Amino acid sequence: MRILVGFKVTPDFESLREADWIAGEGNLADGAGVETRYVPRLLNCFDESALELALRLRDAAAGRSFVEPQLSAVSIGGSQVEPFLTTLLALGYGRAARVDVGADVDFAPAAVASILAACAHDSDGGDVLLLGCRSGPGDGGTVPFRVAETLGWPCLSQVVEIEALSGDDLRVTCLADDCLLRVTVRPPCVLAVGNAVVSRLRVPTLRDRLARRDVLVDVLRAADLGIDIDLLLEREPAGLIGLEAVRRARAGVVVGGETPHEKARHLLDDHLRAVIERL
Amino acid sequence: MRAMAVIDGTLGSAAAQAGALDAFLRDGLTGAAVDETVVLYRADDGRERLIELSPTRDVRLVKMAASCPDTAAGVIAEMARAGDVSLLLLAGGAGPELATRIACRCGGAVLTDVLHAQAEAGRLVCRRPVYSNHMTGRFELRARPWCVSIDAGWACAGGAGEAGPDTGKPGEGSTGKPGEGSTGKPGEGSTVETGDRSAGGALSAGGHRVLSEADETGRTVDRRFRDVELGPPPETGDLAGSRFVVVAGYGAGSREGVARIAAAATRAGADLAVSRPVVMNAWAPMDRLIGVSGTRTAPDLCIVVGASGAAALHWGIEGAGLIVAVNTDERAPIVANADVAVIDDGVAVIEELAGMIAELRR
Repeated sequence: MRILVGFKVTPDFESLREADWIAGEGNLADGAGVETRYVPRLLNCFDESALELALRLRDAAAGRSFVEPQLSAVSIGGSQVEPFLTTLLALGYGRAARVDVGADVDFAPAAVASILAACAHDSDGGDVLLLGCRSGPGDGGTVPFRVAETLGWPCLSQVVEIEALSGDDLRVTCLADDCLLRVTVRPPCVLAVGNAVVSRLRVPTLRDRLARRDVLVDVLRAADLGIDIDLLLEREPAGLIGLEAVRRARAGVVVGGETPHEKARHLLDDHLRAVIERL
Repeated sequence: MRAMAVIDGTLGSAAAQAGALDAFLRDGLTGAAVDETVVLYRADDGRERLIELSPTRDVRLVKMAASCPDTAAGVIAEMARAGDVSLLLLAGGAGPELATRIACRCGGAVLTDVLHAQAEAGRLVCRRPVYSNHMTGRFELRARPWCVSIDAGWACAGGAGEAGPDTGKPGEGSTGKPGEGSTGKPGEGSTVETGDRSAGGALSAGGHRVLSEADETGRTVDRRFRDVELGPPPETGDLAGSRFVVVAGYGAGSREGVARIAAAATRAGADLAVSRPVVMNAWAPMDRLIGVSGTRTAPDLCIVVGASGAAALHWGIEGAGLIVAVNTDERAPIVANADVAVIDDGVAVIEELAGMIAELRR
């Protein structure tokens, strides 16, 4: 079984000051969103779960004498993605690639889905495509379903656990709208990882890093995947045409007092009593 | 322009979907009228109640063998193409999947988490949160049908409750397991027009009119899924519908700190929620997570203890009637974004406050 994890490296939005949340100048269609180039990068939280779940599938296969799955990881982005890919190689991913499309695809989920589908379809792709259920500044959680529609593969979303069974089958647990769904699926398939308990990617040791230091990150261009990125962006069926600040400020009245006890008393008497009595 | 709402009644969230759609049609959509609702259902005993849930008077019923987004998308996509539908509105946790699949199959455009939509001059412009709720983006949907999945906040606005027993609770003999449907060929369903849109058909007790009934139980359900088991979701203490929530943030400092906040919340009669950093440190289970990646709630009172108030967290509580921040840092965003703030150690304050609230409520 070949598992391909598609992941996104995102700016750490919480490190931006309130005043920094202004739209850039220029044509939004050309990617003039909020300036985040100087902001530290993070793995998208759902993608981080997906990357660790894939490693656990490999570990479990080794423990049960199953054939170990081949792990690959791919991300769309520039050189800022490379440290993350190098870490994945050190952790045992056999292949780590970035697709440098030379364009901003933050608000182009259809284009992203086409690229990921092409990666999965590639001879070095995967039978199982693991994705975070949503990621990035503009994605509304549509990418996994678009990829599944493009590939004609079954898709399970809000995946929280994956267990390898014999014969390449996977037992998948999903947190559906109103229930916990457990289902066996035979690859190929798309699995969109949601709020999994497994939420942190393990850290490679220095020995791991040294052992894989000669393995290089693959850099692909859109054309390598047979993709015309300009055409895809032009055909994006929904486009960002404006950005507005979110006004969420409230009164912010600070309660007085010297000790926690005094402050709690003022809070209750001056602000909460009526609300509590209505509950 | 023809526009339809969609309720997936094969899911237990049908009432919540209906409430959200009703609120959105009242306050979230301008420039277009939605006068039909497609209701998917899978058991006759839920049929009447689902009709009454419809946010529009006119209803089109589709009977399904199972709850399966792939099959449902196929059915609705065919209806949209055949009926020249320009706008489809969906709600609930399954809304994004259904909307995306329908758009892909019809060559339309999809947008999820939509706050407002405005149709004008033959185009649809929608607003939705972007950058993890730090900003709102305006989007133009360029290809029809416009498939719009509305923001979860509309469920709070609609005051939607939980699903009733007739919509099929998990594990109660439901007939809707994916992979257990019959094997008829797609498109072999029968549709009976029961109402004349111009002349008017018989109205139900609740004033609804069934325009058509289709039986799509013969559709092939995806057999790549096997051995399906449905179980109850993790216990969240009905966080989404709670009236009093205490949110513990990373400022709790440790698992023990979160446990103390949880104990105080219980004593005060509140439900505990936590921020993502708390979950990432395994100080609390994932099902307590609140925010963009977790639950959204609109309680009467929300006390946020030791959380900075990141936009992603704020998304989960911004519908609260009264927000109280307890934080050691007076410059934390949550202080300005709360109605009232206490600058002090969060655990100490919430423990004091819980005792006083318990006494008041005794």
